[in-house]
Amino acid sequence: MQPRTPITLLTGPLGSGKTTLLRHILATQRERIAIVMNEFGEITIDTKVIKGKNVQIAELGGGCVCCSLLGEFEAALNEIVEKIAPERIVVETTGLAEPEALAFNIQEALPQRRLDGVVSVIDADMLIRFPELGHTTRLQIEGADILLLNKIDLIEAGQVEPLETKLREINPTAAIVRTERCRIDPELLFGIGSARKITRPKHRHQSEFESFIFTSGKIFSRDCFEGVVNSLPASVVRSKGFIRFADGGQLFNFVAGRWELEPFESNRTELVFIGKSIAGEKEMILHTLDECSIEITKHESRMSKE
Amino acid sequence: MPIIDSLRKISDTIWELPVTYKQGMCVPARIIATEKLVRDMDEAVYQQISNVATLPGVVRYALCMPDGHSGYGFPIGGVAAMDVHEGGVISPGGIGFDINCGMRLITTNLTLEDVQPRLKEIVDRLFQRVPAGVGTHGFLKLSHSEFRDLVEQGARWCIEHDFGWHEDLEFTEENGCIAGADASKISERAVERGYNQVGTLGSGNHYLEVQIARPEDVRDKDLAKKFGITIPNQIVVMFHCGSRGFGHQVATDYLQKFLKVMEPKYGIEILDRELACAPFESPEGRDYFAAMKCGLNMSFANRQVILHRIREVFSEIFGRSAEDLEMRVVYDVSHNTAKLERHVIDGKDKTLLVHRKGSTRAFGPGHDQLPARYRETGQPVIIGGSMETGSYLLVGTASGSGTFFSTAHGSGRTMSRTKARKQWHGKQLQRDLEARGIYVRSTSWAGLAEEAGGAYKNIDEVIAATELAGISKPVARFTPIGNVKG
Repeated sequence: MQPRTPITLLTGPLGSGKTTLLRHILATQRERIAIVMNEFGEITIDTKVIKGKNVQIAELGGGCVCCSLLGEFEAALNEIVEKIAPERIVVETTGLAEPEALAFNIQEALPQRRLDGVVSVIDADMLIRFPELGHTTRLQIEGADILLLNKIDLIEAGQVEPLETKLREINPTAAIVRTERCRIDPELLFGIGSARKITRPKHRHQSEFESFIFTSGKIFSRDCFEGVVNSLPASVVRSKGFIRFADGGQLFNFVAGRWELEPFESNRTELVFIGKSIAGEKEMILHTLDECSIEITKHESRMSKE
Repeated sequence: MPIIDSLRKISDTIWELPVTYKQGMCVPARIIATEKLVRDMDEAVYQQISNVATLPGVVRYALCMPDGHSGYGFPIGGVAAMDVHEGGVISPGGIGFDINCGMRLITTNLTLEDVQPRLKEIVDRLFQRVPAGVGTHGFLKLSHSEFRDLVEQGARWCIEHDFGWHEDLEFTEENGCIAGADASKISERAVERGYNQVGTLGSGNHYLEVQIARPEDVRDKDLAKKFGITIPNQIVVMFHCGSRGFGHQVATDYLQKFLKVMEPKYGIEILDRELACAPFESPEGRDYFAAMKCGLNMSFANRQVILHRIREVFSEIFGRSAEDLEMRVVYDVSHNTAKLERHVIDGKDKTLLVHRKGSTRAFGPGHDQLPARYRETGQPVIIGGSMETGSYLLVGTASGSGTFFSTAHGSGRTMSRTKARKQWHGKQLQRDLEARGIYVRSTSWAGLAEEAGGAYKNIDEVIAATELAGISKPVARFTPIGNVKG
């Protein structure tokens, strides 16, 4: 069976920075990614545009593909998958769109695709200037898995916290990430849903974002691992991968302090950590993780008896 | 405090939020509904309608119709009239993105007996000829420049190209072509999104229905006769659609423009960014008005071409001409508009820009904008219910001045689309409906579930509220037997 193509929905009010984020994803991402956008004109495209039945497709460098809808949404997505088999699809919705209907379409009407997550770009400056949230904006915040609080450079430093509180009141579960000009490691945005396929981040990272990988063939103590995860420094914004416990493999998914484990067929332990300037924390994190391996625990207990 | 307690009861159907409710309100906000309907409304409606009451130039009241529910900026069901000579604004959020989404009603001289045996054939063929679903293409192959002509000329363009009869125009608001539409004010992107969509239904709550007028459902025999409902169990066709991706793009383009100039250039401060607006008498406001009119005309043309296709289908199936089947337009009404109208305010004749978003104009008897046939009766008003529950033909009343002669437009959702889809399954719904004698075709099962009758307010309650409020009066109720769902 073909793996189900993960789809990320990108939403947010007019002018909040969705196109900027798309440009940024295109510039930094090296997965074979298909971007479904409202309009090609927003991103300069030099290459030839292929006009399909439901979609116009433009191949960009680095495996990225830009698509603009012509026909029905579901039909267009199927056409994209058939023609270019992307590893991932990002769908930009218009600023006026209520994301719930599209999210539902992907989940229910497209069994071969999988909704990975809903990312909403929220303009911090706009939230300050228009404290009363509009109906559609509210729905866009409610429906998000990740909220990018964008344009924080345009507001006072002291204003950021109250805005985050406000967003959290509307959507207590979404991860909130502060950004300027949507500069964020795209890896943070993807693989939010229970990913069935995890790819290593093989791309160049934005300067302020760093990542490192932890791999091991050992078996780990779940309690110890959870303890490490709960005490990760705040600079780690995203982590994901597999971990092997005594009772089997688990898929680990961590977004800005919230995390979950889900049973998963894997004999390896391979975790990616991403964050802002986390190189300094790398050794400490790797070390504490390694100490959670059961072999070591047994070894230590033997040693103490001796 | 429950929000209904902030409302002042003016009468059984008028509930008011006074200007003291919120800082910046220029006029009170009024909800026109029965207590039950008011209690069922989501809280956002109160916030939204009181926000509308803060917009510059708003006159008398910001109003919400009985079927109101929350929308982008304005509630759907919102009505606001702006004095254009007193700094009144124009706001895309007060018109809606599906500019001139509206209803058209066609009579036939067929009865249930004639149609029942061939119902599936009719609905299946309508489903083929009137494309439904997101982003579908029409059969009209227009160039960009032809499309620009069409949006300036509206349904008139269609008649000139043999898609309909001359009398169709007479029974369409604005005679199917609003003056002042200027295609130089629309973006190429809007053209790109619309040029191949003329003659298509679209998705969501858009539909085309074959309905019957049962004798017991004709409420006013005399008026019904004047509107063309003359025989027992008469078959009528009703459809609901708008300006498709085109109108949406026009609205998006100008929302973005307005957001840039509203505060810096015009010093307009609004509470909710979704209420972005510009003074009507400003270059930006005027440009949007001219572009929005292109949306109005695109929609009139869309419904005209669809009518043409419906006539073709009936004519082919019954082997008789559409003229012989007397497939006449009763009326074509707009839901999502802003129009310049003359209204008497405090004894003075004023020119107002009346925003109606999810609201139907309902001129009473004697109004000079009505065609001769309806001058004495008042304007026919067509209100679609959910596909399960039935729809109404009403008439505008002389007592409707309190709402600037506006009434409801549908039954109004009571639950979100997602919730509806969780509650119903499209395929099962189709089977249930078929068992009840309603044959449905749809491009999307999930979309069908969204439109389940249970996801909407009771249409009868909405209609009764409009009658009680004196803003429209029922003439006949129609029961669906066949439905093409967008």
